[in-house]
Amino acid sequence: MRTAGLYTFGDGIMISLIFRLIGRGIRDLGLHPWANIFTLVAVTMVSLLAGLFMFTLHNVNQELLKTRGQVQMQIFWQSGTAAEVYNRQWDKLSKLEGLKEIRTFTPDDALKHLSDALNGEDDFAWMKEQNNPLQPTALLAFSVEAGVENDRWATDLLSRLKELPYVDKIHYNPLQIDLAKGWIGLTRSVIWPIIGFLGLVVALVVGNTIRLSLMTRKDEIEILYLVGAKQWFIRLPLLTGGALLGLTGSSIALGTLYAAQRIFEDVLNFPPLFMKLTFLPPDQCIALLGAVTLIGMFSSFVAVRG
Amino acid sequence: MIHLNRLSYSFGSNWALKDISLHVEKGDFIFLTGHSGAGKTTLMRLLYGALPVTRGQATVAGYELHKLKRKQIPDLRRELGVVFQDFKILPNRSVYENVALALTVRSMAKSTIDKRVRAIIRALGLENKTYTKCHKLSGGEQQRVAIARSMVVNPKLILADEPTGNLDFELSMHLMDVFKQFHTHGTTIIMATHSREILRTVPDAKIIHLEGGQVCEPPDYILSEMGS
Repeated sequence: MRTAGLYTFGDGIMISLIFRLIGRGIRDLGLHPWANIFTLVAVTMVSLLAGLFMFTLHNVNQELLKTRGQVQMQIFWQSGTAAEVYNRQWDKLSKLEGLKEIRTFTPDDALKHLSDALNGEDDFAWMKEQNNPLQPTALLAFSVEAGVENDRWATDLLSRLKELPYVDKIHYNPLQIDLAKGWIGLTRSVIWPIIGFLGLVVALVVGNTIRLSLMTRKDEIEILYLVGAKQWFIRLPLLTGGALLGLTGSSIALGTLYAAQRIFEDVLNFPPLFMKLTFLPPDQCIALLGAVTLIGMFSSFVAVRG
Repeated sequence: MIHLNRLSYSFGSNWALKDISLHVEKGDFIFLTGHSGAGKTTLMRLLYGALPVTRGQATVAGYELHKLKRKQIPDLRRELGVVFQDFKILPNRSVYENVALALTVRSMAKSTIDKRVRAIIRALGLENKTYTKCHKLSGGEQQRVAIARSMVVNPKLILADEPTGNLDFELSMHLMDVFKQFHTHGTTIIMATHSREILRTVPDAKIIHLEGGQVCEPPDYILSEMGS
């Protein structure tokens, strides 16, 4: 609504003024370039440290889950089962929920593995075709995470697998399930409090840095109050500036982290570690960006309180 | 325009103002006199809502300050123009931006702001400095920017706290001419000063003299300056 050159709130929102204020918040960053550059560097460095910590935690967790968060089951089919039967079943098995990996062995594959294991010293050629006593097998690795809430998950899965036609026996270690459950429970109860604590540290450091940078604008805020500016008029550009500092700082930090990950992804990928460094999952990236942005806004809000 | 009834204010146990009662009519030019520490600035700060009225009653431009809520302070200030000895302008912004600030916070349209800002800048002889950053201006020019900012909103009342305190004689006289011009257009002005030269510039002004936080009879030297 516009009356004689004067915008009034009335029943609508002054969109154009709000956009002007947001624009002013962005432009105002240029008024104190050095203060803002130092703030941005500080925010970036703290975000980078937080990102690095999350990155380490993520990779260690991934690596440990690979060995301790999985349950393996080895299925043996009856000798002489037709190839098309077990091939069809392998197709179905590969679509099971929570399945991380499936390795299949035909009787001939198994024979070859046996021969290789014996350094090819024995000739098993006579066992091929009809004379091969080895059974078709599949080695299934499941992530416990998917079914950890359900204690009956493993036994249910086991009985379902046993019911498959021509299945002779299934080998698995019940202790492995307990170990996986224990590990996942531990990571859930430890990692999130650590990330929470880290978030608090980031909030304090970034928040105080932005508050300090706003000290340079103390006079300006005082003058704005003096000429009759309302709270939202003063705060909106500052919130925009705070959000922009937070978003830019955390984006630069994530970009740096990504570049470092690409450069060093294979640095631990050698025996016996074989650990390939992977980047943070999208949800953690968004959480970091969002948290630092919100902290920037909140700090600006607190800085001009009163 | 202003009505004070037994207004008092203390900083801790020290009374800065005690039982001030006075009445200012629309269109008055008031000199607020008194030595340093007499309570001039405290009174000014109470009048524009920088300090809360906790004792007594005060009404300024229709706002009852003793009942004023925090969120109403900007509304009060939009009725006033305030000028300080230390200018209180934004040094890294241009003359135009500083003057426009007072209208921008009132959410006015850009075209209206532009028209009014240019008019007041011209009236105060700053048109060739329109886009100059204020830190590059002289003291007198900076004070003119501050006055332009307070005048551009057509305030009902101007509160000027020692506005010429940092300026030399010639500039002070020039600025007093500016204030007098606005006064002739009906603006009420309250100006704190202890300069005899300034008092002489508006002989028909009224005097409110403060001593120890109380309103007193002006001393003889002030009365002789005013010719009454």
